[in-house]
Amino acid sequence: MQEKLFEKISVIFSYNAEKNRSIPYKIRWRLRDYFIKTLAYHHKVREGRELLHIFHVTDGNLDFRIRFNTEDLNWILEEVSDGNIT
Amino acid sequence: MEISLNKSPPTVMHIDLNSCFATVEQQAYPHLRGKPIAIAAYPTGGGCILAPSIEAKKFGIKTGMRVREGKELYPDLIVRTADTVLIRDVHLKFKEICLDYSPDVVPKSIDEVVINFSETPALKKGLINIGREIKKRFRTEIGKWISCNVGIGTNRFLAKTAAGLHKPDGLDIIDYKNLEDVYSKLTLTDLTGINVRFEYRLNKAGIYSPLDFLKTPDHILRKVVFKGIVGHYWYLRLRGFEIDDFKSERKSFGQDYALAKKTSDVNELKKIIIKLCEKMGRRLRSSENCAAGFHLGLVYEDWTNFHKGHKFKDYSYTTSELFSKIMTIFFQQSTTKTIIKVSVSCFDLQPLNNMTLNLFETNVEKNRFLSKALDEINDRYGEYIIYPGLMMDMKNTILDRIAFGKG
Repeated sequence: MQEKLFEKISVIFSYNAEKNRSIPYKIRWRLRDYFIKTLAYHHKVREGRELLHIFHVTDGNLDFRIRFNTEDLNWILEEVSDGNIT
Repeated sequence: MEISLNKSPPTVMHIDLNSCFATVEQQAYPHLRGKPIAIAAYPTGGGCILAPSIEAKKFGIKTGMRVREGKELYPDLIVRTADTVLIRDVHLKFKEICLDYSPDVVPKSIDEVVINFSETPALKKGLINIGREIKKRFRTEIGKWISCNVGIGTNRFLAKTAAGLHKPDGLDIIDYKNLEDVYSKLTLTDLTGINVRFEYRLNKAGIYSPLDFLKTPDHILRKVVFKGIVGHYWYLRLRGFEIDDFKSERKSFGQDYALAKKTSDVNELKKIIIKLCEKMGRRLRSSENCAAGFHLGLVYEDWTNFHKGHKFKDYSYTTSELFSKIMTIFFQQSTTKTIIKVSVSCFDLQPLNNMTLNLFETNVEKNRFLSKALDEINDRYGEYIIYPGLMMDMKNTILDRIAFGKG
């Protein structure tokens, strides 16, 4: 299953100064909490003036593609996938 | 005069990301790892597979197959479309790592780079050690699923050949000591630049293997096989001498599009053509060039085609100028048939500051400044924030693609 979305979500983000590591810690989507286990990939995209940080993360069951807009400080869930065909 | 093998120490490294598009997708989506997946132009049955994952290759799925054919080989094949932004980001990180070792890094495509180490301090470390270090850095700095093939040689050809010896995740070196041994295990078409037609030509001259090819004298390659200087180039290339170290010059810009819905409606086609012209124009303008030559290619439903190129007297720069030139060629078609593919390109490029302005047409310069300003607005506020009226409803019609071949 791979679903493209564009939904605002709540995110708790953690930054570890000792390891210099930034990772979303928990996301709340449709009233459910998902605790992030792994940051698979992070990259930045510029859309005109806006700088977007794209995080590919997983909670172990689902893979999420979430984006942080540095202009308006919003988090958007862009994609959810479980790696299966249907 | 016969020349022996190049006995100088290898200084060229070729790095090739394994199944790049698929591996990058697996890196970003951990649940896809270890599964046969394919990245295709379109996920539908007729879509062309651009890159199968390493796992999918084991089932015989290859680049260029249709999605439908891939699913016949492995029914549970997961098909995704390419995330071009993600792939470009990996490419930039990949290139940045390579630039830490030598300033001479040339991307050959989105997933291949050639590093020339001659006269760099990194050489002291030894290229095999550098190759291992680069592989390790890819895994730690890009992603642990990212693997690559590293080939080392005295020229680009041998380095690329070495990179293809042990896939995936190989590291090989070809120099004068093992060159003949490596050639003895390859076929002619395994050599980069030799495909079936060249193979036929070589076979006709009694050359059936890379070893035969290596042992053929220069004058036979030049006068009998290739009938020109190309034969001499092959003679040197096979012996490990560098002859491919040149920078090619940009001579044209082009865009093409296979229509999702075939049509013969001129208004529909105009919309597609102006979007292709806008994309082509953005690239032309960012290179600070203008063009006098234009080419239009159309493929019809019955697989016949129309191809016509024309050199105009005046140079074009703005999207509307490009569009009007292409439409002039478009209306030269002798028949009206349903079209399934459109390609536009411009050539005969001229630097913008070398242009002679038209004495009678006073708005030309004004329009060019306007066009430049529109591009700057799109650069700053996002692609297609402002666009020609004809392009209404076309924002997501022609998708971003990554070209194969030289990047």
